[in-house]
Amino acid sequence: MTTPRSWLARALACSTFAVAALGAALPAHAADALNVYSIWPENWARPMFEEFEKATGIKVNFVRFSSGEALARVIAEKNNPRVDVLFGGPVETFAAGIAEGVFEPYKSPSFAKLPARMKQADGQWTAIADDPLVFMTNDKFVKEHGLKAPASWEDLLNPAYKDSLQMADARTSGTAVTRIFSILEVNGRDETKAFAYMKKLRPNVQLYTKSGGGGTLPVGLGQAGGGIFFIVDALDTKAKGYDVTISFPKEGIGTAAEGIALLKGAKNPELGKKLIDWATSPAMQNQFAKYKINFVPAHPDVALEPSLAAILKGVKLFPIDADYAGANRKRIVDRWIAEILP
Amino acid sequence: MASTAAAGPRAAGAGLARDPALAVTVVLLWAGLALFVLYPLAMLFARLVVDQGHLSLGGLGKILTDRHQVQAFANSLLLGALVGVIGTVVGFAFAFVAARGRLPRGVVAAIDASVLLPLISPPFTTAIAMIFSFGPRGLITYGMFGIKGFTVYGLWSTLLSEALTYFPIAYLTLRPILAAIDSNIEGMARSLGASRWRVFRTVTLPLAVPGIANAFLLLFAASLADFATPLILAGNGFPVLPTQAYLQITGMFDLRGGAALSFALLVPALVVFVLQRYWVSRRQYVTVTGKGAGVTPFDSMTPPVRFLLLGACAAVTLLIVYFYALLLYASLVVALGANHSFTLAHYRTIFTDGAKAIRDTLIIAAFAMPLGGLYGILVGYLVARKRFPGRGAMELVSMVDYALPGTIVGIAYLIAFNDPPLVLTGTALIIVACYVFRYGPTGIRATIALLSQVDPSLEEASRGLGAGSATTFRRVTLPLIAPAFFAGLGVVFIRSMTAISATIFLISISWTLITVKILENITELSLGSAAAFSVFVVVVVFVVIGVISRAMGRFRAPGAAPIASLLGG
Repeated sequence: MTTPRSWLARALACSTFAVAALGAALPAHAADALNVYSIWPENWARPMFEEFEKATGIKVNFVRFSSGEALARVIAEKNNPRVDVLFGGPVETFAAGIAEGVFEPYKSPSFAKLPARMKQADGQWTAIADDPLVFMTNDKFVKEHGLKAPASWEDLLNPAYKDSLQMADARTSGTAVTRIFSILEVNGRDETKAFAYMKKLRPNVQLYTKSGGGGTLPVGLGQAGGGIFFIVDALDTKAKGYDVTISFPKEGIGTAAEGIALLKGAKNPELGKKLIDWATSPAMQNQFAKYKINFVPAHPDVALEPSLAAILKGVKLFPIDADYAGANRKRIVDRWIAEILP
Repeated sequence: MASTAAAGPRAAGAGLARDPALAVTVVLLWAGLALFVLYPLAMLFARLVVDQGHLSLGGLGKILTDRHQVQAFANSLLLGALVGVIGTVVGFAFAFVAARGRLPRGVVAAIDASVLLPLISPPFTTAIAMIFSFGPRGLITYGMFGIKGFTVYGLWSTLLSEALTYFPIAYLTLRPILAAIDSNIEGMARSLGASRWRVFRTVTLPLAVPGIANAFLLLFAASLADFATPLILAGNGFPVLPTQAYLQITGMFDLRGGAALSFALLVPALVVFVLQRYWVSRRQYVTVTGKGAGVTPFDSMTPPVRFLLLGACAAVTLLIVYFYALLLYASLVVALGANHSFTLAHYRTIFTDGAKAIRDTLIIAAFAMPLGGLYGILVGYLVARKRFPGRGAMELVSMVDYALPGTIVGIAYLIAFNDPPLVLTGTALIIVACYVFRYGPTGIRATIALLSQVDPSLEEASRGLGAGSATTFRRVTLPLIAPAFFAGLGVVFIRSMTAISATIFLISISWTLITVKILENITELSLGSAAAFSVFVVVVVFVVIGVISRAMGRFRAPGAAPIASLLGG
């Protein structure tokens, strides 16, 4: 460091070197590995992908994103996809992806066996699981207010729940969209009636959360009295030891399929297809019980795990019609934002 | 890099041709700024106004005149201004107590350590602690005071959380400034008969004005850009723009709408920046006289004032310590609120399943830190001391990524670097570049603020006494800006460990980050793992900052900054 200029020169040399080193350190993807965006949380996705590797020898690299983020990335990366498969997430997310032309149609061997609502007719996506919504309430809250676990949609309108319910925000969450379509189904798809109900429910809502499961912890802790969640999230809350009760409305509640899809322009389409074959078949869906993943299997040959079957016994479920939901999703969500959210 | 005597620092238009090193530096910095600041934004802007091949602004007008978005815009400004004012006041109080309170070294170090906690952990950890503490069953509102039906979501909680998270920036900005004010000057004013209050009002405060303006700018910008805290705490009644933009992009898949909302944020950020520059540049703040400072320590505070200030600082410190104790506790029990038996399982999880995220984050931080620190002082020094074409533009452009919400920077990078000619998505370089250009500006501001306190004649005098420009730079200028270099280094490292808003879009199969894991764990009910990750981040950052502050100790200049460290070491 003899002159200031040489100090500067050294600094520049060092930073050039650092950038070069960084460039050299960039790892290339392993050639025979499959790359996946998972919308399922890591604690469910990881064991599934490990089982897949055990079964096929194909290693899966994955990152987890919420459905909105995953789709935003897939769309942004459309011209140069970074991953081969989009894994998990409610089908309404996949319906939005079809509109953007990001998927490559593919029909797995199980495709023909699945009921119509568990697949997109052209094979743009295929279902790997089914996920019903539930009401979940905090036991202490319910007891303190002299209530019972809600058994109908009307029960949630009780003023005792004022400012106490948490549920997902339709701008980000597939859970929320499924909930809104549930309310539409309960009201015979009469939008006026459905929105009138949601308006009445609004004063009882403390917070619309970004993610579908965002309200489960507050309900578990008693920071909120209750909410509407997917059954996987609700049963997870119970399993953690929080005192919550799961109940269902007698009028019925929606259930949404969870999908998988191959991306257009995928670098490893053959490996991707193998994952789709495996995930849509009993090979994967038979593993749900082993890892305490409380999804309802999509494949008709897979038996429902007994304790889950007991919870769902006698419950009236409306499958959300992907075509109807896909066609009306944007309009309904926009209306929800304009009329219900503020 | 100091100019030769012929082309003194004040000589306008000192030709780049006469100073090749300067010319090369300027060109390289502009290349970096063009590539990593302007190019991504241009690509984003193109995506914004070009709809299927032709120009279209219809969709933008609709979204920008929407009643709710206008409300969100107003809310953002209100929140930013409040966070700026409150954070600066609290930061000033802490800096004043630390620099003038004549506290034992140990106490200052302890205050420093706890005050830095919010800065070195992901922003939403404070937010989560607030939810645990202040809700209908909050540990404080319900547990301590038995208040039921207490609403935690809204302006006040967001404000409290952001002010607590960001006031350390004000503290870090103001403490070196206050410490660098020669207390002999205050002593002289006092001995000429001025009251302590008058000394503070007419001597200390005016000298600190550039620092205060800087602190306000940084806090305002930080609040404008923060989406994580409002996402968790603002609720549905107090929407703010960064969160709206984030939701627009990630939820509605509306890249253009989100981009439009984010661009709206540029306006207030630039207004504040320009105001601050104009205001600061009108004043002269030279207190480094070359005489040894602090020979006669000046007693700035009367006992009641001292007591009050110390009490206020202690209360804030206590609240922070409580929040983080809660976090530590959450990382060590099975499930907070349900099962409080002790476990190390969460730490086991983060070092097995989370090992890749930890390794990736540390590698990226190790590269971003030196590059960001260097970038900060280079730009800061050039802007403050050199004359070259495009100087003002360079200062402005260098601040853009700091002022912009991270969401928009992330999306802009994603759009710009996913397609040829320059494919960088999926690499570590893109994350490093994002950190350097987004957080390096802290070092730039610190350098400019420090140099604006030092009259160039100090350097001229050194040369005049025959020191030669090399010696002058090494012995005078470098020690003066060394604290800014280390501050920049520290901030870039801290942010590399804790930032999320931009880089959540830049992580990939190959490179992932701890913060993304934390947010994911929070939304997945794995609060224990989220807490364990946060504790890990806090510990690592503390260790690294400790090392940096030791290194800083070696650069202490006689007249300048006894701050010399981020942790008071």
